[in-house]
Amino acid sequence: MTEAAADKSLLAIEARDVWKAFERTQALSGVAFALRRGEIHALVGANGAGKSTFSRIVSGHLAADRGDIRLFGEGVRFASARDAIRAGVTMVMQETSLAPDLSVLENIYLPEFGAPGRLSWKALAARAEALLDQFGQKGHLPLGRALRDLSASQRQMVEILKALALDAKVIIFDEPTASFSPNEVDRLFDVMRLLTQRGKSLVFVSHRLEEIFEITDRITVFREGAAVAEGAPTSGMRPTELVRLMVGREIADIYARGAAGRGAAWAGAAVLDVEHLAAGPRVKDVSFSVAAGEILGLAGLVGAGRSECVEAIFGLRRVERGEIRLAGAPFRARAPIDAIRAGIGFIPEDRRRQGLVQDFTVRENLLLAHLGRRRGIGLGYDERRAQIEVLLDELSLSPRILDDGILTLSGGMQQKVVLARWILMSPKLLILDEPTRGVDIGTRSTIYAMIRRLAQRGTGVLLVSSDFEEVIGVSDRIVVMSDGTDVTSIPSRLVDVEKLAMFAAPRSSAEATHFVLEELVARFGGVAYWISLEGERLYCFDAVAAPEAPEIGFARGTFPEIAQSLIPRALERRSETFLAEPAGASVLVPLRGHRGHDLGHVGLTLPPSSPLPDPLLVRRIALAGAAATTAQAVAGGR
Amino acid sequence: MTTEVKAAPRRPAARVRRLIRGAQLELRMLAMLGILSLGLSLISPYFFTLSNILNLMDQSVITGIVSIGQTFVILIAGIDLSVGSLTGATGIVLGLSLQTLPLPLAIAVAIIAGGLAGFVNGYIITKGRVAAFIVTLGMMSVGRSMAYVLSGANSISQLPDALGDLASATVFGIPLNFVVLVVLYAIAWYYLTFTKGGRTIYAIGSNAEAARTAGLRVELYSILVYVISGALSAVAAVFLAARILSIDPIAATGLELDTIAAVVIGGASLFGGRGTIIGTFIGVVIMVLIRNGLNLLNVNPYWQGTAIGSIIVAAVLLERFLSAREGLGRAGSEEG
Repeated sequence: MTEAAADKSLLAIEARDVWKAFERTQALSGVAFALRRGEIHALVGANGAGKSTFSRIVSGHLAADRGDIRLFGEGVRFASARDAIRAGVTMVMQETSLAPDLSVLENIYLPEFGAPGRLSWKALAARAEALLDQFGQKGHLPLGRALRDLSASQRQMVEILKALALDAKVIIFDEPTASFSPNEVDRLFDVMRLLTQRGKSLVFVSHRLEEIFEITDRITVFREGAAVAEGAPTSGMRPTELVRLMVGREIADIYARGAAGRGAAWAGAAVLDVEHLAAGPRVKDVSFSVAAGEILGLAGLVGAGRSECVEAIFGLRRVERGEIRLAGAPFRARAPIDAIRAGIGFIPEDRRRQGLVQDFTVRENLLLAHLGRRRGIGLGYDERRAQIEVLLDELSLSPRILDDGILTLSGGMQQKVVLARWILMSPKLLILDEPTRGVDIGTRSTIYAMIRRLAQRGTGVLLVSSDFEEVIGVSDRIVVMSDGTDVTSIPSRLVDVEKLAMFAAPRSSAEATHFVLEELVARFGGVAYWISLEGERLYCFDAVAAPEAPEIGFARGTFPEIAQSLIPRALERRSETFLAEPAGASVLVPLRGHRGHDLGHVGLTLPPSSPLPDPLLVRRIALAGAAATTAQAVAGGR
Repeated sequence: MTTEVKAAPRRPAARVRRLIRGAQLELRMLAMLGILSLGLSLISPYFFTLSNILNLMDQSVITGIVSIGQTFVILIAGIDLSVGSLTGATGIVLGLSLQTLPLPLAIAVAIIAGGLAGFVNGYIITKGRVAAFIVTLGMMSVGRSMAYVLSGANSISQLPDALGDLASATVFGIPLNFVVLVVLYAIAWYYLTFTKGGRTIYAIGSNAEAARTAGLRVELYSILVYVISGALSAVAAVFLAARILSIDPIAATGLELDTIAAVVIGGASLFGGRGTIIGTFIGVVIMVLIRNGLNLLNVNPYWQGTAIGSIIVAAVLLERFLSAREGLGRAGSEEG
């Protein structure tokens, strides 16, 4: 065997000069792509760059017009997805292609239903158990449950397991993390690493740069149907360079912070006050307020109740308890039209389901809220003409698209249209629920700039997002929600992604830590807390206090400077033995995650007069709990 | 002001382009209609005579009026199976009212009765979240039953001559009832194309969730279309009774199927959001032409049902095939 041939066989997929045109658009013009065995290869590009088209060709969902595709050195031309699966290539779809009424088990083995012969349910169940075990999903996915009862991220996991069950050699992940919280992304990455260890070759299509840099080995960038970077090593690529390759120009400041900087101090009058809001099972007790001209981020994991909370404000859900005030006046929307008339705009989470009227043109979609708000019989579209021209220009959209069907636009452009729909209404308050999900970075920066401009004109903006990077980048202030309650309200300049994740941790996953705090207080009294110390400041994620606990100057969800707490010296020194101060005697135990990352400190402060236990005992209890947390994380991740 | 001037010249061209693009379906249907009439006139010399054309106009009135309401309902992805029996029942209401009330009042009573029945349909479908098929199926049974109960299972005849004028009067030689039909279609077309309510109906059929989120009155218009459908059934009953000055409790049986067929032939989607009132009009005329043609060709009445049924399915299949070929490009360019 010649060296060249041996080299070739190292390639799982080699595509050359692949062309594909749809009726009006040339989707791919001669792209090349090479996937090595056992690597994770990022395929990135702006919306419409041809990533999905290419992925679909490789996985047999579409046929190329022409081009040469080799699988392990052999030329292939798949006639259908089944052909591709037989050859060992599967694609994990972005919009889940699952049957909602079938069980998890049936969905995982759906491809086998097409095979001749009888199915043995017993054998399938046993194989499914083994599969779950293998990928650390045991206990996370109930096999017998109907798919419709699962969360979006669980469904995505089923979709992934479906690909794994086929024992494919090449798996293409098409934006698998769009519905995932950070913890779930971690878990998926563990699965992906495990797969490469077993010699599988993975293609990872994603918009999230930080994920690309974390998990992939090499990067191929598509722009306008051609590869502008081919298999560049991820380690040698800088984020700014990647963005430049994707959009073809420099985007220096994607969050469009400009000179103002993030977290500019804000003193405008409150547009929205929410107090003790409860709505349905997911929203239990939420309070926060948004000032005019402020961008408030509502952060939290999927399932924390953020979407449900804003939907209740907008009249899409019934408010059970609590008070909402709009510009100071009591307000309650029974239907969206009430909220719209009161000056609220709402960009929903699910663009296809809640945002767009698919059969309408761009113009009619753009003017949909205008139509809803309008009194009278006629359409009144012409009144808005001048306004639309200005707006389209600001969003860098051509007025020529107005009479096109909305579905002819890319996802990013569709989202711009939905955003424009509400800007047209000059809202007092604009609610955006995951506005950039599945939107490429170029479009994202336009959307952020537009949001910022809107805020500068005095609109209060409420941004819901599970992308912590985005929340920190765009918002002035962040309210973190967890398990249906607001945990903290913090200026975005004081917080980073890790701390947000810890604030946002749902009770279920922070349970072990909470249990440790309770046990410490039960044994020794005083007050126990889980904090993170950084520079001058402490961040308190959780605290449990006995009835006669000493005052320590911070509580769950607060983030004072260490000097302002009542136990500054103990904190300053991260004292691992009891250190007495006027407020009481404190001891701190550092926590580490299973991959060795910093999880903050567990601390215990006892009243000045009380007897002090052995600090090692405190440490042992704290770390036992931490071990339990780690065990849980491992169970989740492995 | 300046934008007005600047934008003015390119608007008509864009409008025309949009009109042609938007009316492709209607143009195709019109072509089908042309071929059908050409064929019929070749086969039967009687087809293009004045009396047959007047006959065709007369025959399209009842189905035509009810099909307007059916179009509204199908546009929001609903269906109204009760229109036939409501036409029968409101006809009986009209007949009974005429025994004590003057004509205009009696007509009003019948229309209100039809609208009320439609309201019940719409209210239960919208607020009770029951499938339109089930609710209107129930109303279909109730309507027919009420027709028998109210009439004592006898036809009501010897209605006043003033009513008969509605069927026999002409405007410039065109039968009055056909003029009314055309006017009703013009109003419906204007409403669906140029008013808030019309666009709301389309938006509901295309994506009710998005319409609601944008602040459109989804529930109100979802009920309204059934009210319109019920009321128009009563209007049709008036013209039906006017034709022979008599109304029978069994009148208009099976009308719901003719109207649904006309709407679907006219290009509307049973999943809502797509379809036009002009398409429906063409669909009605095609239905009437087919029936007329079969009669002119002396086709055995027992075979006519088979012929009509097959033609309906074939026409819709052809239409779907043509529009699917067109739609391919659109579906393809959706992907990034």
